[in-house]
Amino acid sequence: MKEACQRYLEEPEAHAGHLADCEDCRALFDTLGVPVENRAVRVDALPLAPWESAAHRSWPLIAGGALLVLVVAVAVCAWAGVPPLRVVQSSLSAITGARVTIGAAAATLRQASLVWQVAFGLFFVAVNTVLVLLLRRAPKGIDA
Amino acid sequence: MRKGVLLLAIVAAMIVTASIAQPAPLDIRPADFSLANGLAMVQRTAVILSLLFVWLIAAIVVTLMSAREVRYSSVELRASALHCFALGLVAITSFVLTAIVFSYLPSVIGVPLMIALAVFAIVAKIYGAIAVFHALGTIVAGARSREALERRRWLRGDLAMVLVGVLILGALRLVPVVGTIIWALASVFGVGTALATKFGRREPWFLAWRPVEN
Repeated sequence: MKEACQRYLEEPEAHAGHLADCEDCRALFDTLGVPVENRAVRVDALPLAPWESAAHRSWPLIAGGALLVLVVAVAVCAWAGVPPLRVVQSSLSAITGARVTIGAAAATLRQASLVWQVAFGLFFVAVNTVLVLLLRRAPKGIDA
Repeated sequence: MRKGVLLLAIVAAMIVTASIAQPAPLDIRPADFSLANGLAMVQRTAVILSLLFVWLIAAIVVTLMSAREVRYSSVELRASALHCFALGLVAITSFVLTAIVFSYLPSVIGVPLMIALAVFAIVAKIYGAIAVFHALGTIVAGARSREALERRRWLRGDLAMVLVGVLILGALRLVPVVGTIIWALASVFGVGTALATKFGRREPWFLAWRPVEN
């Protein structure tokens, strides 16, 4: 869709002359069965779209919120005597824990009997099949 | 039929995920409320608040870079939450099982594949969490009508919704046990919506085969 068409569909009253010039838009209105002369797109009557005012950036609110969290975090860290390195260690320990658990699971699987290994393989295929089936569904958010 | 399969998939994935990520049993005794445990709780709060600030900065940067994608994912999450949740559960289970399979392989092949999988999983989790922040912020603080939106001076736009979502989920994260569960659920929803919308691009993951029409 052209930018002019988009602007017209968003604000038909402000760009009323566009319909006379644009063949695509006239064809669209014909397809919908709406007579061009009688079209009555009242924007105020339409539900609020997710993109309306989405690009607005409230910098004072963002800066205030970020500053508030920063000040509280620094104050609590200073009070509890937590160095910044501890925060990094805390994040890395979760990843290390996951790696160790997965390594242990793989080691257990290697030592398991053939039946268990085959069962694990079948389960792996089944889960990934379900994943593929779920991924094939088209997103419907905007059309819902 | 399709709903039945979806429900079965959700139940199966929940059992697997719960057995993999089983939390330590709660054992709260009077002796736990000592000074040392109180200090440990304050230190834990300090770490959570510092991580919350990191999340906030990451959310602001990602929203500035790709606001439309985050918004699409947020809309998808609100429109089909059950699908996103099911997809997230199955995807996390698949990540864990695939990681075990990669560990099973010889390290020359397995380690690079494992690193690629970890990067993909982390990116999906971070992006998805930001979409969840946006969705939660919109549900709680989003304008319900055009008049309400026009009256607002600051509390509108993607960035403000993400900020509100981060602050709400951050506050909930501070609650012991419940906060961890809520963040785990948010991660499941997040990974699901990230994958359902292909990181907000709304493109199909797989090409559909169609016979040539003569």
